[in-house]
Amino acid sequence: MRRWLARVGALTAAAVLIAATAPIIMADDLTVTRGAGDGGVAREREIRDIKSEIHRLEQRVDQLENENGQLKKSNAELKQNADKLQTSTTQQLSEIQSRASAPPSPADFMDAMNRFLGRYRFTLVGGAAGSYIYDRKSNTNTFALDLEPIILWQLSDKLLFEGTIEANLPAGSSADYQLPVADFQYFLNDYAELVMGIFDQPFGDWYEDQSPFWVNRFITAPLPYNVGSLIPPTEVGLQLRGGFQWGEMGQVADYTIWSGNGPGYTNATCGSNTPPSPLPDCSTTTALVGDTLVSDNNIRLNTHSPGFGGRFRVYPLPADSNFGRLELGASTFDGKWLDGFWLTSWGVDFNYFRDNLQARGEWIQTYRQMPQGLGADNRQGWYVQAGYFLTGLQVPLLPSELDQYIDRLEPLIRYSGINQRATVLGNVITTPGIGFTGSPALYAPHAREVAVGLDYWFAPSIVWQNELDLELPRAGGFYSDTGQAVGAYPNDRAFVSQFAVGF
Amino acid sequence: MSRLIKFGMMAALAAIALVPLAPRHARAAEMTPAQQKRQMFRRGAQLWPIYCNTCHNARPGGEFSPTEWNMIIMHMRTQANLPPQDANAILEYLKASR
Repeated sequence: MRRWLARVGALTAAAVLIAATAPIIMADDLTVTRGAGDGGVAREREIRDIKSEIHRLEQRVDQLENENGQLKKSNAELKQNADKLQTSTTQQLSEIQSRASAPPSPADFMDAMNRFLGRYRFTLVGGAAGSYIYDRKSNTNTFALDLEPIILWQLSDKLLFEGTIEANLPAGSSADYQLPVADFQYFLNDYAELVMGIFDQPFGDWYEDQSPFWVNRFITAPLPYNVGSLIPPTEVGLQLRGGFQWGEMGQVADYTIWSGNGPGYTNATCGSNTPPSPLPDCSTTTALVGDTLVSDNNIRLNTHSPGFGGRFRVYPLPADSNFGRLELGASTFDGKWLDGFWLTSWGVDFNYFRDNLQARGEWIQTYRQMPQGLGADNRQGWYVQAGYFLTGLQVPLLPSELDQYIDRLEPLIRYSGINQRATVLGNVITTPGIGFTGSPALYAPHAREVAVGLDYWFAPSIVWQNELDLELPRAGGFYSDTGQAVGAYPNDRAFVSQFAVGF
Repeated sequence: MSRLIKFGMMAALAAIALVPLAPRHARAAEMTPAQQKRQMFRRGAQLWPIYCNTCHNARPGGEFSPTEWNMIIMHMRTQANLPPQDANAILEYLKASR
């Protein structure tokens, strides 16, 4: 600006000088014209130079005026930008102030917590249950408690550790602790995963998917998985598993293959077979027909060769099908339980649900080779069950205020059975307990049971369950170690009530 | 012989697992991340009641934090052998519906 003013001043001074000298020059021109000669020519040249200078100065003035206009324009734009910047800054400041004074959103809070905790990858889920059991045969009234926390620890995007601790307080006993699951799960790719450690036996649908308190619609297990289950509940070893979509959305299939310690039996003493037992008398400690599988995890067992198993499951209906959801599965589990003697087993299962209806069922067959010419210890087990949510049911003559309670009710029915040639007296649990053991009176070599239930769901994972177990007249058979008949008190009844929470 | 057949069946299953299958969702690569998220949300909303109710009552997204859902769905991938694209869609739905 200062330079520009200096230029304008210089030009002004030049203009004044020209204005002052012009009359003199013009007078001189007249003189030159009058007195022609060499001096006149020089004078003309000088005048032309001066005119040229005047023209140049005029152009310079125009140029400066133009520059002045541009500077004014730039100045206006700068001012406008400064105003905008000030408005924006004020707005941002206001936003920051309001954000600072407002409470954080859940997502922001979670982000902040994760930043604070660093590599936080640990959580606790599981279930807890308290139950009341009445059994007519043993005239037992008892309460039982069970807690099963599941620890999940994510070590990376591909590696997860799962540990389940089972703590229960069975009737007439102090607290009991077990470790049914403790394994690492490593995802090899989208279609294959490796599981290493102690895991639920992947045979059938029961142990892996249906055994948690709040998942099982009933309180007790069906007979094939109850007292003296046909298949060991846990295994120690390796699994390879995965799932894939083969058709439309929801049409998937999955597989599991595994190898582990294999089956083990309690190897009870046989020494007092007497008529009417069909079994031979034996005087040494040996395995028995009817001996039960080791039902705890078999980490302590030193079996004679690794057992192995496979399971394949398919969902034939697409997700948007109007026919509901159908699951079909097949399993096998095989292993040597003694040198040269195999336990071979297989099973098929189904699960179907549509709207309020859910039904599932399973068939299991086992074949155990026996020493000492005792023949095979064949066993069969099965169950089929159905439940129906009363959601939307309109009961005539009932006040509409009760609809909200009726919506939460789920009546249930289950029929299950088990066949085996005999059982061992010491293996039959006489103390009631929830979960796998159920009502002890309902176990016999040839047992048939009908269970009816009524669940009231407070929330998707909080339920009050009531179950009535009815032993059918078919129950019976022999104790293979005593030869005595089982089922002296046939047609037993039991009532079980349980409050279960999944967390 | 029957054991040989069983072993063969298991080996075939293992081979299926290890053979890389052709991607079924090539179109996903053409979408923006926001569009992919929206598509996963819709797929998850459709699958969540079906997959979860197969074994137990479906639990709503608000019951656990996003970090906990990450671990629970990872666990359910094992427990129910969920295909990864379906597990991811259900996870997206559960986290977004909180």
